[in-house]
Amino acid sequence: MQYNLKKLENESIYIFRQAFRSIPNIALLWSLGKDSNVMLWLAFKAFLGRIPFPLVHVDTGKKFKEMYSFRDRYVKRWNLNLIKGSCPPINKIDPSLPPAARSAARKTEGLRKIIKENKFRGIIAGIRRDEQGTRAKERTFSPRTDSGTWDIKNQPPEFWDQSNFNYPKSVHIRIHPLLGWTEIDIWEYIKCEKIPVVDLYFSKNGKRYRSLGDEDITLPVESTAKNVDEIIEELKISKTSERSGRKMDHEEENVFERLRSKGYM
Amino acid sequence: MKNNKNLSVPKIVIVGHVDHGKSSFIGRLLYDIGEIQEEKYRELKKASKKRGVEFEFAFLLDALQDERDQGITIDTTRIFFKTKKKKYVFIDAPGHKEFIRNMITGAASADIAILIVDVNEGIKQQTKKHSYLLKLLGFEKVIALYNKMDKVDYSKHKFLDIKSKLETFLSKIGIKSYSSIPISSRKGDNIVTLSKKMGWYKGFSFVQVLDEYKIQEIDKSEFIRFPVQDIYKSGDKRIIVGRIESGKIKSGTKLIFLPSNEIVDVKTLEVWPKAKKEYEVGDCIGITLSDQIFVDKGNMASDIKNPPKLTKRFESRVFWLSKKKISFNKKYLMKINTGEYEVSINQIKKIIDVESLIEKKKINVEKNDICEVVIHSSELIPMDDYAFNKSTSRFCLLDEKEIVAGGIVDIRNYPDQREYKDNSKENIIPENYAVGEIDRSIKYNHRPGIVWLTGLSGSGKSTIAKNVEKRLFQKNINVFTLDGDNLRIGLNKNLDFSPEDRTENIRRTAEVANLFTKAGFVVLVSLISPYRSERKKARDIRPEIFREIYIEASLEECSKRDVKGLYAKAIKGEIKNFTGISSPYEPPEMPNLVINTSKCSIEESVKKLEKFILKEFSF
Repeated sequence: MQYNLKKLENESIYIFRQAFRSIPNIALLWSLGKDSNVMLWLAFKAFLGRIPFPLVHVDTGKKFKEMYSFRDRYVKRWNLNLIKGSCPPINKIDPSLPPAARSAARKTEGLRKIIKENKFRGIIAGIRRDEQGTRAKERTFSPRTDSGTWDIKNQPPEFWDQSNFNYPKSVHIRIHPLLGWTEIDIWEYIKCEKIPVVDLYFSKNGKRYRSLGDEDITLPVESTAKNVDEIIEELKISKTSERSGRKMDHEEENVFERLRSKGYM
Repeated sequence: MKNNKNLSVPKIVIVGHVDHGKSSFIGRLLYDIGEIQEEKYRELKKASKKRGVEFEFAFLLDALQDERDQGITIDTTRIFFKTKKKKYVFIDAPGHKEFIRNMITGAASADIAILIVDVNEGIKQQTKKHSYLLKLLGFEKVIALYNKMDKVDYSKHKFLDIKSKLETFLSKIGIKSYSSIPISSRKGDNIVTLSKKMGWYKGFSFVQVLDEYKIQEIDKSEFIRFPVQDIYKSGDKRIIVGRIESGKIKSGTKLIFLPSNEIVDVKTLEVWPKAKKEYEVGDCIGITLSDQIFVDKGNMASDIKNPPKLTKRFESRVFWLSKKKISFNKKYLMKINTGEYEVSINQIKKIIDVESLIEKKKINVEKNDICEVVIHSSELIPMDDYAFNKSTSRFCLLDEKEIVAGGIVDIRNYPDQREYKDNSKENIIPENYAVGEIDRSIKYNHRPGIVWLTGLSGSGKSTIAKNVEKRLFQKNINVFTLDGDNLRIGLNKNLDFSPEDRTENIRRTAEVANLFTKAGFVVLVSLISPYRSERKKARDIRPEIFREIYIEASLEECSKRDVKGLYAKAIKGEIKNFTGISSPYEPPEMPNLVINTSKCSIEESVKKLEKFILKEFSF
């Protein structure tokens, strides 16, 4: 394994183990995308082949059918303890949000519900700093007050792998083991470790999905990359951003910040 | 595959005074090397136009609405980029009010540090404070960027002037300027390519300097440090997981676990799906042990030759992050490596003004202060000195629900408090004395005792002991004085003044005193004995007849007296490890008697001690 990947892998494993020993009742968000598959793999490594907490799939009901069949196949194969959560209908969501963002915000509500029902104190999410400007400002262990809100301007200090885990019961902690990874690191690791991903990432008829979300607000990008190697080569020269196919990102300048400060991943 | 260092992605932190152009510099750099994606560029253009400004490079990092509206960086952020040769990650550390918290958060994990200075404004408060923090975080060199050259007409004179001022400051805190580059973020001068407007500059562009930069090698010393992060059970296996902080581990490696001091072999390495033969620095692994010993989270495993010190007391340089002031009455939770300990802060040695680099004239430590403190724990903590091993000597302090400080350990002046497992006793069976202690007491008409005089050099211990000895002798008491200096001529002549040798000095003296009591004597011990922990060990040999006498005199008073001329030498630095000057003195918490020689005359002091001894040890 490349030195760089080895280093990232070690960092992530350390975070997983720190989370497990320090936060009671945690769960891992499995969105079925490439990042969360890598995250799942790293969890197997951290806990030596057996994941000691549940996985959560916050289901908007609008994912691609390929994603659902992928989920069902690997739940069996990997013997996963999966909690499926549902999301409220769109009319229950803040109407001031632009349409795609409003649709995405259903997931925030679905997550909030599932955290409450299961009394989760920690949620492991596979976000990365290179995806988006506000995600770049995240902490590894990021507290979310009662309703899931992110206090961006008052984040706790975090240094030398030391973090604060001592929060009131109403607070849950977002755990981000992949913050330091980039899109290309993810693909190189998938290649190195032979981690399965949904076929939608590979080019069909000159197009592929670079990032997977709800079917109605996610567009494919032009690409001829038919396998992991070709994706890596494509990314080395690509000038478009990873989330260019995600409609919600482009509706308004501050839409992502609005979503995230309310609890979106 | 073989490890390839070149494939590692260095983290670069960029620091400097607010508004000296950190975010703009990064934005400009990324734009010039073609790392800004098209749609990002369009988005930034839109955001700039909305706020009525020319294209603002800083918006690339300042992604938050408030950051863009107010034109400042609120929180640390990271951005990935690649030059033609290498990949990097930038960490932008904000220069405004919450800067220490956010800067430390960003900079603590960085490999390369860049310090940016506005040539027009010159060196400012945060230029200095950030530099000082870099030093505290372990940086020895920085790349210095002199920004906004366009505003001073690319003046060589101006550049040299600021450069010389900055370098004077940096050298005072022990940081070298690896490279000094005059740049303009606004115009892009000397960032990717050399500028035509500064023909007088004979150095390289920033990107050239960066690509050539050699990162300080990770410490691959032979000393093993493996803090126990957690213990997993798998079937009947107990797997100890953790990250190797230094050294290498394989099956068969001998480890000592602290604080228990148990020595065991590594039996197996546990890694999913399959373990390699050997692991090294940075690797997160699991191990099983050859013998079942008690191991807990937070314990430290080490090689057996050079284990970390175990101590309950240490000095530390600390940056204070909280609005709450330091309190001596509070218990703080200290997190170091994977361990957690309840500690209290006993003393503030000094508060450092990072601008003038001299001691601040104030008593309270407040937010964003940097200070030196003495910390005490009720449990033994395994730790290294910062100069010896950075990764196992850094900690944070929590006050309830808040991280209030971070610090680095200085234990050069404190002894190892390890209780070595003593195997030598196994075949030794002590003989009973023919004459019992009680027989001697009856004959001499007094009980034996150890009267332990502790205090600073020059406090009056020896003078008092000598006079008391004379007077007791006249009263037919079997009395003898063990004087620190005299013992160092003979019994202890192989010992120096290092913390470990001081400890041994105290141990031997205590054992000799013990022998004298067996012979029926009242023993006066006159010894600085600076460590509370060691005096306690001396007491523990015969607690029922041990009396601790604190000969109290202030450091000022003692150095004024300076009977032996030692303080003068110590202040000049000619004597190392001098108690009170370059080595700590811990006054007794509950002495049996205090004699304050600043207030009492010698005559009074002698009488006071004589009276105390007669009362304690006569029948």
